[in-house]
Amino acid sequence: MTLILVVDDEVLYQRLLRVNLEKGGYEVVTAENGEEAVEMVASRHPDLVILDVMMPKLDGISACERIRQFSNVPIIMLTARGEEQDRVRGLNVGADDYVVKPFSAPELMARVQAVLRRAQTADQTTTNRYFIHGNLKIDFARAEVWKDNKPVYLSATEYRLLIQFANHLGQVMTAEDLLAAIWGPQYKDDKEILWVSIARLRQKLEDNPHAPQHIVTRAGLGYLMPPVEKESVKGE
Amino acid sequence: MSKPSHKPTPVKPTDLYNISRIVTDASDWKTALDQIVRQVRNILIYDNLAVYLALPEHEGLDVMYARAVGRGRSAEADSAWGEVLANRVSIEQRIILEEPPKDDSVSRLKRPYLLGIPLLNGGNYLGAIIFVRFGGPSFEVDQVALAEFIARQIALLIERQKLEKATIELEAKHKQIQLQEDFVSNISHELRSPLGFIKGYTTTLLRTDTTWDAETQREFLEIIDQETDALQELINNLLDSARLQSGQLQMKFQPIRLNNLLEDVIAHQKLHRPRQVINLQISQPLPVIQGDPLRLSQVFENLLSNAAKYAPHSEVLIKVEHDKKGIHILVKDFGPGMSKEYLPMMFTRFFRGPDQSTNSHGSGLGLFICKQIIEAHRGQITADSELGQGMVFHIFLPFDH
Repeated sequence: MTLILVVDDEVLYQRLLRVNLEKGGYEVVTAENGEEAVEMVASRHPDLVILDVMMPKLDGISACERIRQFSNVPIIMLTARGEEQDRVRGLNVGADDYVVKPFSAPELMARVQAVLRRAQTADQTTTNRYFIHGNLKIDFARAEVWKDNKPVYLSATEYRLLIQFANHLGQVMTAEDLLAAIWGPQYKDDKEILWVSIARLRQKLEDNPHAPQHIVTRAGLGYLMPPVEKESVKGE
Repeated sequence: MSKPSHKPTPVKPTDLYNISRIVTDASDWKTALDQIVRQVRNILIYDNLAVYLALPEHEGLDVMYARAVGRGRSAEADSAWGEVLANRVSIEQRIILEEPPKDDSVSRLKRPYLLGIPLLNGGNYLGAIIFVRFGGPSFEVDQVALAEFIARQIALLIERQKLEKATIELEAKHKQIQLQEDFVSNISHELRSPLGFIKGYTTTLLRTDTTWDAETQREFLEIIDQETDALQELINNLLDSARLQSGQLQMKFQPIRLNNLLEDVIAHQKLHRPRQVINLQISQPLPVIQGDPLRLSQVFENLLSNAAKYAPHSEVLIKVEHDKKGIHILVKDFGPGMSKEYLPMMFTRFFRGPDQSTNSHGSGLGLFICKQIIEAHRGQITADSELGQGMVFHIFLPFDH
């Protein structure tokens, strides 16, 4: 049966979505904030997520961003304000569609069916919560990094840099690309901050920071995370 | 003050370091200038010192600082302060030295030696600083250089103070705008939210591709009914608050029996919230008071609906007593209460408690309206609470008003 995760902090919206979807023949699980939503995508592998934008504890936009780091599950955003800005932000972080509150029940059902139809014809839904690289493990759902089963504390920037490497496994990335992706386009010539950040990451992640295994320098080209044999483990 | 010898000591690096330290530590440029001139008194000797600032609002210069330390002190306002030179400096924007003709028969006070330096900061002209020496001697090159150094430091400080002031003003404005934006976004959420449920549950009932059993239908209709009430209440509050703000809400005073009024309110409340337990204690006989029954009912309804909202499983105690001056009413719930720090803000417009879940709705207008109504009766309403100790409201309504 198709499983839909409904994420809304308001009980009455949870109920509204649940009754309509269940009548439509779907199985429904609910979460009431973004953090719970990310956890449940990782643990329950839903076929579709309906995600409210305005929520406490990780809003919908940030939750969507986090989910997209490890899963391509279709996501419909519920935007309360109906403001263009919210819809654009939602689509930018990887939402597939949006529904503006207040919505009618048939409209919602139609959107759900359309998104599910599109997802079926496209690739299979994959959810890789964990990324493993040698003695290194990333938990995307919790934004946590482990080395030899011990937690490693990274700054937000260091984490984003590491994710960038993990998501481009085996690909050489130039300093300009990394700077533009992590710090923003206006920083693309600020090579020194990248050097410092990579040095700090290596201090935290590498057994020997002078002979790195996870983040390797390709002189004159850039940096990469080299592919290893067992590069990732699917699911839980 | 020691008699100034006009044989100056040379400038030492420590003097400059000290000036720099004064400037970085300064909170305002006038105090800083006092400290600086004390620091260099043996190097840069003067009798009078004046700072003229160009004010943006009007043409010309205004004197903003003046000190007489030497021979000029006895002459007070009669002595030279270099206003004319200040104007010249401001027009030519360069250092100007002015010396009187040598004539020992004229009193020293009538023969001022003037040094005028423009206050410049990054090409911005701010004003002029004038040093006056009665009867000479002339300002020497080293002294002029030191005076110019001081002038630049002072210009920096003046500019810094202007920026600090502008920052404070901008922050205040920003806060105001923020409060308005918060209100607009909160109120639009509060308006949309019941509409969203009404729309959602109505269209659910209207779905043509399915049917709902009687129990579910009833549940949905009750939700629609409640949300319609919430919307109605919100709109009323908005209108009342706007009328109160513009003074258009007129009270219609008449003799009231408060016990009857409270019993009516409670009966009405029972209809809407059958599960809420309200315990009414009145020490009889209660004298008649003058009041607007509709508005006073509104106050009690508001307090009871707040209790139902924020202390849903708690009973509510209403205790009514009177003394010679008037009637005291206590409305107490036994719910989570609120931390003391937020109590003073509770009656301000748009204020909402900090840790309310999004499932509790509110416009931040209810208690503001209560306070306005009670005050229109020349009474008082106060709140008391501690986290975990429930919420208490005290209302006092005087007999004569």
